[in-house]
Amino acid sequence: MKLFVCIDDTDNYDSIGTGELLENMMGEAAIKDLAKSGFTVRYQLYIHEDIPYTSHNSSMCCTVETTDLDAFTGFCESYLEEYSAEGSDPGLCILPDDENLDYSSLIAFGKRAQNEVLTKQDAYKAAENFSGEIHLSEHGGTGGGIIGALAGAALRAGKEEGRIKGKLQPLPNKPEWTLSEFASVYGVARFADEEGNKITENLSIRFVHPTKLLYSKGQVTAVIVNENGCYMPKPKIKKNKEKNQ
Amino acid sequence: MTAWMKINGKTVFSGGKSAFDAAAREAENCLFFSEDCEDELVCDDAVSCYNCRYRRWTADSFECMKR
Repeated sequence: MKLFVCIDDTDNYDSIGTGELLENMMGEAAIKDLAKSGFTVRYQLYIHEDIPYTSHNSSMCCTVETTDLDAFTGFCESYLEEYSAEGSDPGLCILPDDENLDYSSLIAFGKRAQNEVLTKQDAYKAAENFSGEIHLSEHGGTGGGIIGALAGAALRAGKEEGRIKGKLQPLPNKPEWTLSEFASVYGVARFADEEGNKITENLSIRFVHPTKLLYSKGQVTAVIVNENGCYMPKPKIKKNKEKNQ
Repeated sequence: MTAWMKINGKTVFSGGKSAFDAAAREAENCLFFSEDCEDELVCDDAVSCYNCRYRRWTADSFECMKR
């Protein structure tokens, strides 16, 4: 079966980040032949002083295929309890990826988590409609990570836009690409401009700076910018951007 | 102008989220700077408070957890 797996609040200032922990956990699950995972999407949640995040309040969600849900769930729980950082408040959410499920109430919860302060009770209430389908569990500290974990899984289920973990590095000695080549090599399904408009023309681009991909409209998306008449994947970070989260 | 201000006992960067040069200067002179994980880097200065694992974003700026 296919699943969305999301964890949150597993780190402290000196530990690895939640995204890396998720990738490590999925790597271990693969070694144990429990699951195969897809890419991880980062969702930015609300920044507010009343929310006890470590530094940036984001949650990380990946897709998973498993044949043994109980064993996989038990593995994730044990892994979080063993490897989450001291002082963290880890939460785990495992949600079926099923096109017959109506995720709308969960998606609404996820969007709220991006714009307001929510409580664990809010998370449990939002999960009530999926009783028997959803796994939501606390693994230490206050367990407040269930809020972000549920929000991240919900946003991913709703195909909401987030950044895909990791970055693409240019290849040595190959600066020039067409979009179709780029799509084929890097697994990109969709190209868009900075306003989100889909690019359909097979543009020639110059790929010389690291770039990050988006999960947008349910597809792996590369943002293409025009700098001084030259099309290129949007550089990973820009010093002059106004908002930097 | 000092780069830091105290708000409710917290040390907050007074430059907000777009003072890239000041954030780089502060980090270059900081003993505690430590680069955050790759997915949370936000500017292209290798050493900048904006890229430090000890910054905690707020609505308008960030709090330094080491000051």
